[in-house]
Amino acid sequence: MKYALSFILNDLPADVLVKPTDTLLDVLREKLGVVSPKRGCDTGDCGACTVLLEGEPVRSCLTIALTVAGKAVETVEGLSQDGKLHPLQQSFHEHYAAQCGFCTPGMLMSAKALLDKNPKPTREEIVEAISGNLCRCGAYEEIVEAIAAVASGRGKEQGR
Amino acid sequence: MKEAMYFGETEMGKAIKLLGQYRKKAVILAGGTDLVPKINYYKLKPEILVYIGKLGLDYIREKNRKLLIGATTSMAKIAASKLVARKAGALAEAARQAGTSAIRTAATIGGNLANASPAADLATPLLAMDAELLLRSDKGKRTVPLKDFFTGPGKTVLRPGELIVEIAIPPAKGKTVFLKLGRRKAMTLSVVNVAVRLEMGGKKCQDARIAMGSVAPTPLRCLRAEELLKGRGPDRALFAQCSVEAMAACNPVDDQRATAWYRRRAGTALLARALAQAAGLAEE
Repeated sequence: MKYALSFILNDLPADVLVKPTDTLLDVLREKLGVVSPKRGCDTGDCGACTVLLEGEPVRSCLTIALTVAGKAVETVEGLSQDGKLHPLQQSFHEHYAAQCGFCTPGMLMSAKALLDKNPKPTREEIVEAISGNLCRCGAYEEIVEAIAAVASGRGKEQGR
Repeated sequence: MKEAMYFGETEMGKAIKLLGQYRKKAVILAGGTDLVPKINYYKLKPEILVYIGKLGLDYIREKNRKLLIGATTSMAKIAASKLVARKAGALAEAARQAGTSAIRTAATIGGNLANASPAADLATPLLAMDAELLLRSDKGKRTVPLKDFFTGPGKTVLRPGELIVEIAIPPAKGKTVFLKLGRRKAMTLSVVNVAVRLEMGGKKCQDARIAMGSVAPTPLRCLRAEELLKGRGPDRALFAQCSVEAMAACNPVDDQRATAWYRRRAGTALLARALAQAAGLAEE
């Protein structure tokens, strides 16, 4: 049986027909063409599918799509505005924080959730915020530095 | 195979009726962090999904000095709650250490208990604090002490169609401590976890609770070890003896996270450390 699902995706309404067991990740990638969230493990372990639900980070692979009805979902597709990268994206670029890039969307969304609530986090708080995002290239140092640079205002694209 | 159906009720009465109607076919969905991997990876095919996240069971409050937590309250909310920190600090600590932020946002206290993992992190502090579960079905309500709730890995006394509604924690006497050992700091299941509560009167232990997780088919209380402490003063040699006694009541297994051999040794050391902390002994 299919059910009509309506939610807010990156500030725009999204309407789609889904099955009860479809996850938010299934719906984003396969029905809505929103492919920044990556299917790494499908069991919640890797963090590559992390999106924001009502501003809080969640695993889209563990989120039954129908439970987000009426709620706001944010993905990397909603980060850049008017063709301009989000400060976190710009900083990741400048700090070589993406190596193969597979973990990057999850890292960005975990980092955004942190900075939205805590604009001046300590290094420990940054590490804690991305503790559920695996980077198998091992670019953690660059990723932490990229986030720290935005927090401290050292990113080049500030003030947006 | 029949097409699956989904119900996202907003009224408790309707949800309870549905659960009663479909009984074993109904799969209860809350945060999904334990259920959805079973669907994605282990090919579980639920016929009826009943989502309970809109039933108003997301609350933390105090009533008649008891701390009441609704079953769908998230681990993130428990970890951040000032009331939980004040009334049940060990529970807040267990929630804070569970998974990672994206898991804690979704995972619920009721789900952590209903899933009945031997490694469920919230179970041990709740056992140490004599928590009770309020269960509801179309046959009515009943209250079950958490110590009588688990019956095996993934198994509980929940009947088909029965729902955990609320977790009640009586005013905790004495100091409660939760310690967890995992393979790493975040996003890891416990190799072993312990929660202890010591109620001291003068220099003597009046009452004690010892709960251990991930070292037996269910999280469990170690009653004989608790008895050893009563009427005795805080003492490292006693705590060491007590920890050996507690581990004798456990039955750890080898798995991908640790061997039984390691769990016994680490569990004994972790428990002795937790007891020393609860008694206020300085770090060695």
